[in-house]
Amino acid sequence: MIVSVAEDTGGLKDAAPWIAAAKPEYTALIDDKHLVTHLYNMVNVPTAVWINEQGRIVRPNEVAYVDNRYKAMHGIDAAPYLDAIRDWVANGERSAYVMSEQQLQERLKPQSPDRAMADAEFALGEYLYKKGSGPDAIPHFKEAQRLAPDNWNYKRQAWALSDAEKDYGTSFMKEVQKLGGKPYYEPRKLPNKP
Amino acid sequence: MRHLVFAAMISLFANVVTQAFERGRIVIYDGVTTQVSESPEAGKDLWVTMADLKRATGFVVKPQGVCREQLCFPLPKDRKAEFVSKKGKVSWFNLTAFARLIKQPVAADEKNAVWYFGPRPDVRDSYITSLDAPDFTLPDASGKMHSLSDFKGKRVLLVTWASW
Repeated sequence: MIVSVAEDTGGLKDAAPWIAAAKPEYTALIDDKHLVTHLYNMVNVPTAVWINEQGRIVRPNEVAYVDNRYKAMHGIDAAPYLDAIRDWVANGERSAYVMSEQQLQERLKPQSPDRAMADAEFALGEYLYKKGSGPDAIPHFKEAQRLAPDNWNYKRQAWALSDAEKDYGTSFMKEVQKLGGKPYYEPRKLPNKP
Repeated sequence: MRHLVFAAMISLFANVVTQAFERGRIVIYDGVTTQVSESPEAGKDLWVTMADLKRATGFVVKPQGVCREQLCFPLPKDRKAEFVSKKGKVSWFNLTAFARLIKQPVAADEKNAVWYFGPRPDVRDSYITSLDAPDFTLPDASGKMHSLSDFKGKRVLLVTWASW
């Protein structure tokens, strides 16, 4: 089954129109505190995690585009990932895409102290923003971005809550251009198709 | 005239209460927001009364350390003054020094008097050893709450997205 989670500080107001338009037949949740980002050490959307029937992770965070509408921008083909999901659905634990404990422990890394501090700064910024102290939230969002420069969730969410050009001197497109072709997402590491 | 005096007194009382509230400090610990008393200690550290410590964090200072249920963190004997202080009849606890001791991240906003305490590293990273997917409880668009653990027994593709 699919459990989708909207990582949106604006909560229902920002996420609900998209959910209504998608008419999902799966569970669609709204995370206005970026709790899943913190818990799973995520850095971007869309990110997926595979969880087996026992509630254990069998594939960790990875970019999870399911169509190619933004492929020109990030270069990621959705097809291999969809094939992998179908294989897991058909074969469960026998799927070649299910990772061993050793593979998982090599892939999953403890949070760095900087990332942990970035999470705290971002959460404090969100609290202040929701209390109506938007300008006071900005230094905390900036600090989170400084501490976790690869975390696009913290950049894009903060920019979306105010005038990014005025308050942060940048925009999403400008930042993507600055990468100069460097991958915007960590490349997927899928095994060869069985 | 008597009504006007009474109204003025009520208004004055409300102002005093509001000011007292505004002087208070906000602690966000384990995701729960608690207002605590302002401390007489100067400096950037957050000192809380022992009663506020228990209310805001569930921790209690005991002879063996700072404890919550089965969990106890001993305080270094030669540094006790860094953590506990007595002013008159009230004992205070330095919550930010304790966070540093247990390597807990803390973000603070002096202007708004808010302290946010993140999870300890052993709590945060425990899933890497167990591989148990960290549980969470969130609402759907109708407000109904769902926990990831509700779906045990099924394979779950957990996918995040955003409107931004």
